Amino acid sequence: MVGQEKEVSLDSVQQLEAVEITDKMKKELETAMKMNVSVDEFLASSSSISFIKRGAYAWEPMLNNMSSERATITIDGMHVFGACTDKMDPVTSYVESNNLAAVNITSGQQGNANGSTVSGSVDLQRKTTPFSMQPKWEGAYQSGFELNNEQFYHQGNVAYANKKLVAQGSISYREAGNYTDGNGEEVNHSQFKKFNTSVGAAYKTGELSSVRVDAIFDVAKDVGYPALPMDLWLSRALITSATYKQLYEDGWVRAWDTKVYYNTVEHYMDDTTRPENLVHMDMPGWTTTYGLVSKAHVMKGKYHAEVQLNAYDNLSIAEMRMYPQDRSERTMFAYSWPWVTTRYAGLSINNSLEIAPKSELNFGGALGVNYNYAKYIDFNWIFHPGAPQEKTRWLPSVYANYTLKVNDFDFSVGSGYGHRAPSVSEGYGYYIYNSFDRYDYIGNPNLKNEVSYEVNASAGYQTEKVQVKAKVNYFYINNYIIGRILNMGSPMNYQSVGVKGYTSLDYATLFNFSLNTSYALTNNLHWEGTLTYARGMDEDQGNLPFIRPLSYQTSVHYKYKEFGFQTSFNGDLAQSNFSPEYGEDLTPAYSILNVSADYTFQLHNFKTVVQVGAENLFNQYYSTYADWGNIPRMGRNIFTSLQIKF
Amino acid sequence: MIHLVVAVCIGMVITACTLDKIDYEAELATAIPQAYEFEEVVLIESNGYRIEIEALNGTFYKGYNELHFTVTNMSNNQTVDDAAITWLPIRQLNTAAYSCPHSYNVLYDATNGYYSGYSVFDYESGLEGTWEFYMSVEINGELFTIQQGIEVMAQPNMNLNMTTFTGADGISYYIALVAPVSPSVAENDLVAGIYQYNQPEEPAGVFPDPSQFSFSEVQGATVLLDPRMPEASMGNHSSPNNEDLTQMTEGLYHGVVNYTMTGNWTLNFMFLDADGNLLAGTEVPTDFTPGIEGAKSELYIDILF
Ligand SMILES: [Cu+2]
Repeated sequence: MVGQEKEVSLDSVQQLEAVEITDKMKKELETAMKMNVSVDEFLASSSSISFIKRGAYAWEPMLNNMSSERATITIDGMHVFGACTDKMDPVTSYVESNNLAAVNITSGQQGNANGSTVSGSVDLQRKTTPFSMQPKWEGAYQSGFELNNEQFYHQGNVAYANKKLVAQGSISYREAGNYTDGNGEEVNHSQFKKFNTSVGAAYKTGELSSVRVDAIFDVAKDVGYPALPMDLWLSRALITSATYKQLYEDGWVRAWDTKVYYNTVEHYMDDTTRPENLVHMDMPGWTTTYGLVSKAHVMKGKYHAEVQLNAYDNLSIAEMRMYPQDRSERTMFAYSWPWVTTRYAGLSINNSLEIAPKSELNFGGALGVNYNYAKYIDFNWIFHPGAPQEKTRWLPSVYANYTLKVNDFDFSVGSGYGHRAPSVSEGYGYYIYNSFDRYDYIGNPNLKNEVSYEVNASAGYQTEKVQVKAKVNYFYINNYIIGRILNMGSPMNYQSVGVKGYTSLDYATLFNFSLNTSYALTNNLHWEGTLTYARGMDEDQGNLPFIRPLSYQTSVHYKYKEFGFQTSFNGDLAQSNFSPEYGEDLTPAYSILNVSADYTFQLHNFKTVVQVGAENLFNQYYSTYADWGNIPRMGRNIFTSLQIKF
Repeated sequence: MIHLVVAVCIGMVITACTLDKIDYEAELATAIPQAYEFEEVVLIESNGYRIEIEALNGTFYKGYNELHFTVTNMSNNQTVDDAAITWLPIRQLNTAAYSCPHSYNVLYDATNGYYSGYSVFDYESGLEGTWEFYMSVEINGELFTIQQGIEVMAQPNMNLNMTTFTGADGISYYIALVAPVSPSVAENDLVAGIYQYNQPEEPAGVFPDPSQFSFSEVQGATVLLDPRMPEASMGNHSSPNNEDLTQMTEGLYHGVVNYTMTGNWTLNFMFLDADGNLLAGTEVPTDFTPGIEGAKSELYIDILF
């Protein structure tokens, strides 16, 4: 099923296919339940991803139960930085499901190729249309309506390919009103509008080489965040890249792929839609990133390696403009990100060595250098007098993983070690209001690198009918960065109750477990089940926030002729290991039932699928452990969608 | 499909506009007058000498005024560096005469090549009276005096505000801000002049009798500092790492004030004499009280930047 983690395998044939320009178009992003999903809904179907939700839009993905600073989230290896100090705009909010082909999730240090990480990497891979011997056109149109929040969307894709040239484009528009919770209450400020378009063109410059240019343009307007005191008036992202690929028929280096990129994000949030607020406040933010990714695939006999150079330059700016109650008075002003530049360059190598036909060793390492510069360091000096304006950090990473196959069983054990640099907010943030624990957060330029030690293991059993896979990982993280109450200063945001400073805990530990099973009862009847459990603790054995309690999902798919039926049942147990220190309270258990049915037919020779379904069929009132401010989730939602391919 | 077309159009239109970033340096300057050069404010030719007084922006302002005096011998155009100069500002209101903290003896500053003094005008010219100054200049045993009316303008920069008060010891005190002239969201070195009026012990002699208008720098006091944003919406917001004002060798008082954002701030003071006795000011509540204007100390100065 898509949505599962991709195995990090470097099988020679697969690998060459992956770098082949004429790679086949991958499957659409879809989940078990819904064929047309948002990127967030799609990611949610992975058992290693959980979400912090601040509303109906732009959920913050957490990998291995760690917040997004601890993962590298990239689009085709490109770094894009959200421009919101309140994390309204994770990178995943700037793409759309119809311009993505797949999402590669790699856990822990094995995901170091795109930059230093603790929890792993999430790489959103855009669709690329292969060159074609026969000139051809392809296209798809999808549309749908969701009753609960009156969401409608239209999405279109079109691509042209011949021997030498590929051109493709996609466009998508979604618009939703406020959603209604399980008690029938409307959740105010949960509406959104999102427009996304992408274009790409590739040209074959030789037998084994090609150039490609791509751009994504994304606009979100009038997006409500019910869990926050502010809403998004407008955000826009322009994400561009140019790629050169060269394949080699012999020699050690088999493929070389170099990309230069530029992206810029602007994010304007304000509280003009919240008249109840005491202070009127605008908080615009901007990020601009230039970068380079260059990747070579090396192969010699049973040894494969991927060598990657990754470099970027990012400037993050966020402003806070407050107006006193008497609007004629002068504005109060401060930077929440005081023009912070981050430059990173890293070289990574990921190796795979087939020791015996049934066993394989994967190992690798990376060394990165991370440089920060805060133009208006004066802001940071208020809490950290004399902190350096510039800071350079070295970020090493190593890992090794051994896989053994015995008949239908497979086993793996692995270990990793890596550093990460503090994020812009953790290092240089200034009075960033966190509406979850209601504290203003202050960054600390002197924070030490976070250092992660991890071990992981998995065991699986696979036959034609049955698949069982259990995975565990354990992270011991030194200098774990988290906010602690400061005994100085006073809040700036009026909803706030105090000031927290980002500090390093001596250490924190995180444990993740997942069990995935699937069973094909008949050719047409499949069952799947997933169980996850996680535990995160600080140095005093206190609970870390946003750790998912025991969760389960079970689903059944039945196919009859042109009809498909799906049902899924999922839920979390009560979050008994909550962290009051970070504003959490006991979130009760919940369980949700979803159903859907689809029908496939030919419409003028076009493959057409219609789907109708209901999420939260029993209209449960619930909120999850990671719903910001305990905002309730959506009540019963009946959805319909239509997909036509030509 | 219409939605798509509309959406594309919206997309195109939106591309044309963005919100501009704040020009932070310019933002800091909005509440601060631009020109802050020493320029001539008084020019007198008397007894063959030309006497020039320079003040910031060529103007006397309410508050602390640093004054630079130069004396030039007009016969040979040589500057004179060994004159003995006294300076006495007088405010006439109805029939009474008052003064303000000032450097009576203006001393030569060889490093900079001028005579350096100050005057802390506590009122601007107008309904509160008219200002004039009396100067005496003695060069090589030759003494002459000068009297001239001057105009004291309202202080346009709230960062150079001042306050006067009567301490628990019955003495009149003056606190005048000297720096930062143009603060920023940062640690700012806060400098203030603190003066007291010395009650005359003798009956008045011939006007203007300097013993009737005697002021001195307060020695060894401490001013406890608690800066806060007074706006109700700011809920009594304060900043960390501030340092109380203590006297440095040059006589002025130095401390540190951290401004966490631009806007209105109140510097709340508690004034302790050299023995640590509280002479003025009250402690202010430290609670964060959104929607309620922060209470000020009985002794405070408002600033804005
Ligand atoms: Cu935002």
